[in-house]
Amino acid sequence: MSIYHKAKKTTINTLIHLFLLAVAITCIYPLLWMVASSFKTQETIFSDISIIPRHLHFENYYLAVSNSDFGRYFLNSTIYTVSVVFGIVVVSSMAAYAFSRLRFPGRNILFIIFIAAMMIPMPGGFVPLYVLLNKLHLRDTAFGYILAMISMGLATSIFILKTFFDKMPKELEDAARIDGCSKLGIWWHVAIPFAKPALAVVVVFNALNVWNEYVLALIIFDSKNLMPLQRALMMFRGEFLTNYPLLMAGLTITALPIIIVYIFMQKYIVKGVASSVLG
Amino acid sequence: MKFLGTLFTVCLILISGCSPKIDSSKVVTVWHWMTDREPAFKELAKRYEAKTGIKVNFELYAPSDAYSQKVRSAVQGANLPDIFGILGEKRDFSSFVKAGFVLDLTPYMLENNAKWKNSFFVKALAVNEFTDGNSYGVKTGIYGVPVDIMTIQMVYNKSLFKQLGLNPNHPPQTFDELLEIGRKISATNRGGPAKDYGGKAANLQGFVSGWSELWMIDCFASNYAFNIMGKDKIIATIKGQVPYTDPDWIKVLSIFRQMRESGILIEGLVTMINKTAEQLFANGKAVFAFNGSWCVNVYQRMNPELDYAAFLPPKTSDSYPMSIWGGAGSSFVVNARSKNKQEAVNFLKWLTELNQQAYLSRVTNNLPANRECLDKVPPILAQFSRAMDNATHPNAWGVSEFPIVIEAFDKGVQAIILREKTPEQVAFEVQKVKERELFKKRQ
Repeated sequence: MSIYHKAKKTTINTLIHLFLLAVAITCIYPLLWMVASSFKTQETIFSDISIIPRHLHFENYYLAVSNSDFGRYFLNSTIYTVSVVFGIVVVSSMAAYAFSRLRFPGRNILFIIFIAAMMIPMPGGFVPLYVLLNKLHLRDTAFGYILAMISMGLATSIFILKTFFDKMPKELEDAARIDGCSKLGIWWHVAIPFAKPALAVVVVFNALNVWNEYVLALIIFDSKNLMPLQRALMMFRGEFLTNYPLLMAGLTITALPIIIVYIFMQKYIVKGVASSVLG
Repeated sequence: MKFLGTLFTVCLILISGCSPKIDSSKVVTVWHWMTDREPAFKELAKRYEAKTGIKVNFELYAPSDAYSQKVRSAVQGANLPDIFGILGEKRDFSSFVKAGFVLDLTPYMLENNAKWKNSFFVKALAVNEFTDGNSYGVKTGIYGVPVDIMTIQMVYNKSLFKQLGLNPNHPPQTFDELLEIGRKISATNRGGPAKDYGGKAANLQGFVSGWSELWMIDCFASNYAFNIMGKDKIIATIKGQVPYTDPDWIKVLSIFRQMRESGILIEGLVTMINKTAEQLFANGKAVFAFNGSWCVNVYQRMNPELDYAAFLPPKTSDSYPMSIWGGAGSSFVVNARSKNKQEAVNFLKWLTELNQQAYLSRVTNNLPANRECLDKVPPILAQFSRAMDNATHPNAWGVSEFPIVIEAFDKGVQAIILREKTPEQVAFEVQKVKERELFKKRQ
């Protein structure tokens, strides 16, 4: 390789790396600011712009947790996230498998209806959901909220999983059928293990969605003790002034579980997104 | 999958333990969105229970836009609480009244020679009142109870006044005095003589406000429009009977050019959000600010040592009094379908009595709706409250300007501040927009 080509390759690589570095910094900086701000005071948060604060105020974490019934809301959000994600994984994988592999009348129309549901913005469905849950006497209950959240997460999850199941080799199914598997058995023993990367995407996307959800909870719940974690964070946001140190401490604690879930599943996520969404 | 299944089972067991609490019929439930006032409301609820035996549950649902959605959804399911607040314009308020969800409080207000009604600032009550022949078609009456009020005025930093060699107890009384102070600040920044700066550049800002938010420009301009031409001429302009090219409107627009030329306006004012302006004023970087009475709360948190006072924007003309924007801050209504209507009304009466209002005001730094308790609140709050006599609000004018005309006017003001246009050019352009809208309306 000539010197010219070597220099050209090095320059291009350097530029690409510089660009990626800039993108990475813009992604990481808000997180660093959040963590740094969680150790500052209300006065220093805007005057001390350094990422490493001069004085660390660990008490912000104690105050954030003790001032706002944080423990109860954290438990509530954990219950909602696990239940909703479990529900979505079971229902959407069954539905996606059926849409992909089974032949039944109205299959395409039903699938189009599900996909159309993806286009409806979430707030558009709040009032009908509220009325429905009210009529079923499920309003202001954890079970009602979980059902509503499962219903809201289904469309996208079915879309992701169906795309994945469409690429599943037919021979795998045939082999399972020869071994005596029923339709449910094929779904459990063949389709689910095959779709692990897509399931990881579904789990992470929906976990993030439920963990951060607040508006629907606020509409459905009257009882404070059923509210999710986001309520605790809202308590730090005043009408005219926000208590940034406590809010940032609360946000740091709130972000941790999702970051952990992401770290554990990241090897599947890239594969899942690439094959399910990009085709 | 097995792990998820086990977790799900555990969650199911936990969910079964979470059931909504059942309210007894003698519990008054209040829905609100005011995060800052939550602890004070809870304390007052405790005091009320100790006094009457009736429990009051304040339920906070914030932020305000999510609260509004909750109220609208609750209307669909007829699940509104005993007391709640309606956010939005008067049109929204009227739709709740017409749908039968809001109790007419007029009979209660007029009891004992209108004792309850007379305890409020008249203009605070106006927001909750529908007068004879109102355009919303609502039966005449008072439908809401103001719990606090709000005015928008100017504030000045007393310490910086001292440093500039000015009397800290004498804010500018005329517009010329304001401009003169602007020139003095500019001179100080250039290293001119001012106490405590020893002739060095001070880098002081004159006037800050969130003038990237157009409504704040509109508010400031309308103050001076009232002072220069009076309400009747403003209303006539809105009705299309007086053009924006009228010399009085040019005078209003010229206010901004004069301010710019005096050097009182901070650089970047028209792209500044109010939060930044508040930060600058609270940190002693600016001498003047134009802000709402909520700023007392904000400045208190940002800099408890800040020494400042409020004053009416200094008048430029003696023809008409200066008017500022103000009215009810937050209001509560009683659910007309509630089983606890009487208890709810009794609680609101108690909440708006002198002692409770003074407590709320002191603890939350909001202005009291009860006009009798001004001597029981901090001086800065009393200063803001007293200006209620000069208060007005577009919602109370009975006619509204086309939003696109307001936008053209406010953007025109920004262009004047940026030296892009003259007041005459802006007046001409606004009038063109106005004529176009009037033409469309006539079609």
